[in-house]
Amino acid sequence: MLKKNQNLKEEYLKEELKLPLSLKIDRFFSKSIYRKSLDTIVIIFFILVIIGPIINIFATILLNIPSINKDVFNNSLLGNLQWLNILSALGYSFSIASIAVGIDIIIAFPISIILTRYNFRGKKILDALVDLPMAVPTSALGFSIMLFWGIFGINPGFTLILLGHIVFTFPYIVRNMKIVLEKTATLYEDAARTLGAPGITVFRTITVPLMKEGLIAGAVLAFTRSLGETGATIILSGLVETAPILIVGFRRQLELPSASLLAGILIAVSILLLFSIKFLTRKVGIPVKSVWPRIERFLSKKNLRYLRDALTLGILFVVILIPAFYILAEIIGEDFIGEVFLGQDYKWVFIYTSFVYSIEIGALAVFVNIIFGIPFAFIITNRNWGKFITFLDTILDIPIAIPSAALGFATFLFWGPVGLGLFQSGFFMILFVHIAFTFPYMVRPIISVLESSNRGVEEAARTLGASNMTVFRKITLPNIKQGIIAGCIMTFTRSLGETGATIVVMGGIRTIPVLIVDFVEANAYASGIFASVIVIIFSAFLIFALRAVKKKGG
Amino acid sequence: MPTIELVNVTKTFNEGKVLAVDNISVRIEHGEYVFLIGPTGCGKTTTLRMIAGLEEPTKGKVLIDGKDVKGIPPEDRDMGFIFQHFEIFDHLTVWENVTFGLEMRGYDDDHIVKEAEKALKTVDLLQYADEYPSIFGNPGLQKLGIARAIATGAKILIMDEPLGSLDPKVSKVFRHELRNLVKDLGLTAIHVTHNQEESMAIADKIIIMRGGKLLQMGSPYELYENPNNIFVANFLGETNFLQGFVLKLFENEDMKINIRLGGPELNIYNFGKKFSLNDNIIIAFRYEDVYLFPEDYNFKSSQYDWSKMQLFVAILEVSRFVGATKRFYLLLDNGDKFVSVKPGNFEESFTSGQKLVIGIHQDDIHVFKAPKDILYELSLS
Repeated sequence: MLKKNQNLKEEYLKEELKLPLSLKIDRFFSKSIYRKSLDTIVIIFFILVIIGPIINIFATILLNIPSINKDVFNNSLLGNLQWLNILSALGYSFSIASIAVGIDIIIAFPISIILTRYNFRGKKILDALVDLPMAVPTSALGFSIMLFWGIFGINPGFTLILLGHIVFTFPYIVRNMKIVLEKTATLYEDAARTLGAPGITVFRTITVPLMKEGLIAGAVLAFTRSLGETGATIILSGLVETAPILIVGFRRQLELPSASLLAGILIAVSILLLFSIKFLTRKVGIPVKSVWPRIERFLSKKNLRYLRDALTLGILFVVILIPAFYILAEIIGEDFIGEVFLGQDYKWVFIYTSFVYSIEIGALAVFVNIIFGIPFAFIITNRNWGKFITFLDTILDIPIAIPSAALGFATFLFWGPVGLGLFQSGFFMILFVHIAFTFPYMVRPIISVLESSNRGVEEAARTLGASNMTVFRKITLPNIKQGIIAGCIMTFTRSLGETGATIVVMGGIRTIPVLIVDFVEANAYASGIFASVIVIIFSAFLIFALRAVKKKGG
Repeated sequence: MPTIELVNVTKTFNEGKVLAVDNISVRIEHGEYVFLIGPTGCGKTTTLRMIAGLEEPTKGKVLIDGKDVKGIPPEDRDMGFIFQHFEIFDHLTVWENVTFGLEMRGYDDDHIVKEAEKALKTVDLLQYADEYPSIFGNPGLQKLGIARAIATGAKILIMDEPLGSLDPKVSKVFRHELRNLVKDLGLTAIHVTHNQEESMAIADKIIIMRGGKLLQMGSPYELYENPNNIFVANFLGETNFLQGFVLKLFENEDMKINIRLGGPELNIYNFGKKFSLNDNIIIAFRYEDVYLFPEDYNFKSSQYDWSKMQLFVAILEVSRFVGATKRFYLLLDNGDKFVSVKPGNFEESFTSGQKLVIGIHQDDIHVFKAPKDILYELSLS
């Protein structure tokens, strides 16, 4: 029988000779050995670039306990001052993140309902405006917020950091709530209303439980973003030091043991947070049992509803949208031509080169992440490696969860002169960090289109005679195109907006968000405003491009 | 000439935890239109996927034209596959869908154009060649699915619930078109469905599967008239099942036994099966094989030979008119119930509560030993 089988294979090989070259190449690379090699390479990449630095930093801490002890806990000059600094920074970071997320959730509930369940003119514009702070570099946002609240006499410090964090984490929460609301039909809500439940009761007992997962996902993302934010915080912090700011400070003063310890703590806490929340999502319930018909019916009255909606929109504009984009108005009052273009120090040259660096790094990060991200998404969705896939799927989110300054510092320790010694601070190191923290932003959308796309067509193509690679090229790729483009735009905007990770590894190079921070610190406000406005406009384009892609994808 | 043979094929999933197909051996001849039927989860689709190369058997062999196809991927098996959910490439036009398989085989352009046109003409879609499939409803999509599968010139056609996503009226017309197409092209076809009526209407041969096992294989007529177990009897057509026990064995005529139901005694053939006294048994008879007579019916006046007719008394609970047929729900002394179906124009009108004489021909009664798990045998899943 084996011999017959051999004959059959030879027959097919003969048939293969007349195939066009592209199909021949596809058939060649469809062999399982190539698939396995690619899988291996991708997983090695994942471990080296993303997991390696994290493991390395824990190892470094363990190996350097004596020097950490000497520097942080029993310093000959400062005693345990560094440790007290670390504790206070962690305290600030966690309280700011918790309060900001709490306030965001309160505003986001009505806003997400307005954006999904209502129809009114200008809804699309409002929707885009709400998304926009996510795409703009946080240092530009922070600068704008500082200028706006400065009018009212609020100076850099705890309150201003909080106001800033509310702004840039808000879109993450609204977005996730909206996704869930759009997915769930209004059918359940209609059913509840026909059963006599007033609007508020329906919202509380039907809509909110449906939104639970979106709410938690958004809150986690917002919390971790707040915890790890650097760019805006540097501008808004004044004398207050949050954890990422302290890492940047340690790194600037080359206090590596202290920086390692703080980065390690932040990474460990964030990972714990990520895992516990993944676990808790399933357990947490929302109380729906009690109903207060009279009160809720009263609150559901039309007039009160209008009042509520007006109040929500008012808060949205005053607290989030106007502070975020106030800087666009500032440009009118500033003599930026004099400072940027005619000044002795050629600030426009700095702005131009930083902008080019930012775009180069963003583009390269996108390129590398496409190459490794697509196969990685395939591994997560296609391979039946059991628990290992669940493991990969969970640790994929680690770069999103941990503060980027900490990841940046970990990467510096791993690849830099202290660790493997392969790279010096500078362009390539920045690129490495950016690849690492944007990787999930590339992979997640691809996984989600792969999971929602119909895999049956791939089997259909194979029964029609297409080899694995041909199926990928001709069937799968066109079907997941939207996810890939969405991933690219997300990757690019995140790379463009990143400050914390860049500062830690940049050496002499400045990207545009870092340059804005530098300008603000040097009191070169006009240049800072000019750079911010350019980058806001650029980001707005990206957001509109992302929306166009999403819309096309239905 | 394509023949398909499965030799002791077994398929397990999840490291042997799930047994999908359990030691099946089947041979399908060239040009046969074979149905693979059974309840959801019986392993029929898995069997099909192993033939197509989308799954590899855990044990056993799949032979195509007598050759073992182990390790040959689906793209090299040269079969047409029609899917329940069509799996049309919606990013490609109708034309590109149909030419896809031809392109994969590296044919020259003339051949591709000729074959694709022929396939599209067969299903009446040629005028839509430049459109995208999104213009079609389900019937149009499935026509395109068929055109795409036959365009390659593959001589084996595999269909997984091809009519399952069409609405019942459309699918009734469609199934005859499908059979004509298969016969005109001289294809060897395997068609999976859970719809027994569909298979009875158009199959050359039916294979019934349940729980991964092959229960019975044969022509629709053979399976309907001589089901070899309770499930098959129940699955094909509408069947009454009554419990009873063996009352008397006719020593010299080993083809005949006497059984007792709740009330009546019947003499029936045992179809070569061995029974002993007091064995618990199940008898099965089709709804349409139950004759009804008024209590005072004079059997002697009729010309018909009643000797083989088993007669007993039952009470009519209720009758229902369902368009083409009338259904009579009947009750025995012990509370057992059964059903008789008559054509819609059946003239006798009986009233609820009336005593009736029931007649069933000996040959129409199938007898089975009572299984251990009677509920499992009688469930259709």
